[in-house]
Amino acid sequence: MPDFNPTQYAVPFFVIAVLVEMIWSRYRQPEAYEPMDTLVSLAFGLGSTVAGALFGGAAVYAFVTAYEYRLFDLGTQWWVVWWAWPLAFLLDDLKYYWVHRAGHRIRWMWAAHVNHHSSQHYNLSTALRQTWTGSFTFGLLFGIPLVLLGFHPVMLGIVGGFNLIYQFWIHTEAIDKMPRWFEAVMNTPSHHRVHHATNPRYLDRNYAGVFIIWDRMFGTFEQERDDEAIRYGIIKQLGSFNLLWSVFHEWAGMLTDCWRAPWKHKLSYLLREPGWSHDGSRDTSTSIRVRWQAQQDAKQVAHQNPIADTHEAA
Amino acid sequence: MDIDPQILIFVGSLTAIAMLAGLARWLGLGGKPTLKNEIDVRKATDEVESGFTPSHWSLSSKGESVLAADHAGRIMVIKRHGNQFAGRILTSASSVREEVDGLIVDSGESWFGKVRMTLTDASVWTDRINRL
Repeated sequence: MPDFNPTQYAVPFFVIAVLVEMIWSRYRQPEAYEPMDTLVSLAFGLGSTVAGALFGGAAVYAFVTAYEYRLFDLGTQWWVVWWAWPLAFLLDDLKYYWVHRAGHRIRWMWAAHVNHHSSQHYNLSTALRQTWTGSFTFGLLFGIPLVLLGFHPVMLGIVGGFNLIYQFWIHTEAIDKMPRWFEAVMNTPSHHRVHHATNPRYLDRNYAGVFIIWDRMFGTFEQERDDEAIRYGIIKQLGSFNLLWSVFHEWAGMLTDCWRAPWKHKLSYLLREPGWSHDGSRDTSTSIRVRWQAQQDAKQVAHQNPIADTHEAA
Repeated sequence: MDIDPQILIFVGSLTAIAMLAGLARWLGLGGKPTLKNEIDVRKATDEVESGFTPSHWSLSSKGESVLAADHAGRIMVIKRHGNQFAGRILTSASSVREEVDGLIVDSGESWFGKVRMTLTDASVWTDRINRL
């Protein structure tokens, strides 16, 4: 059985790439990095590896157990079945799309995933801003069907590692657009900038890991526009560089809301979209987009028919 | 004395992280942007809450923060955070304290922190915030 963790080998490359991007930033875009933000993002990265080692055992156990009930058997030497590797990579990326989408649309999942989005910057250090609390969500359930199909957990771990490595380089403003054919099929810096944006137009778009085709297929694709500057981060920017608050703020908010809510709404604070509230007093990405769209439409009407915007009596 | 390799990796990683953050500082990355005019204020308030249209605002003397109100009577405080801006809509849980040359606004969220501002019309904003 292969004993191989691709992300381990990629770490030196990550460090060198961050260094190179910092030097690029020095001459082309000094505001792309902020030292405290970089420190927090990298601490997130280190902490996530520790958290994974401490709490990842449950996921491993669940996968190994599920593998005993697989529908198809690739044999005892499953790693020599060559075609299983690209198939596993493709299906794992499809799984990533859905687990990522859930990570944005279910508050319990968002409580863990928000860590990756809480920087107001978008650079290679942001890519390393990984969650510490993923093991406390139900994200692993999305991977179980692949195990039940017959893909060995180690195979899924390896292709998942390559998936994560691919996603590193797309966290940059240093690359504008890739060739058209590449942008059509693959996730790119341009597509992923949209994903990290808080502009209403871009909220909850481009969930892809490696292949952008999933967003195109499932109706969540949005093209980056040249006429709209991107703002990065989260709807309610933290305004703090405190590492522990950055890690746990959404968990604290969610559990507080759950505690204070009437009984019949408690579960909704865990399972509905971030921003949902039982009295409708807060904004969700959907309500923000609807309000913004209404404003855009009103502006367009005013532009096309100036009389409509004069507020004078007829 | 034998040291667990995992501890060595952890300490090494921690050192590398500190060095990268230090390098970012040494290269002069980041900066301290300021809010200078109406365009900046409108952009910043819209970033805090999409659609927030300020009708009145006061910039702090160095442009590192702003208090803005809209026609609905809502008040927003924005502060510089790193080389970006972050803000909050003030609520009844917010408070304000006048100082000799300005005021200190507490959004009511301890982790967001208090915003110290040097303002010429501090008392106007103190009244507005106290009425929330």
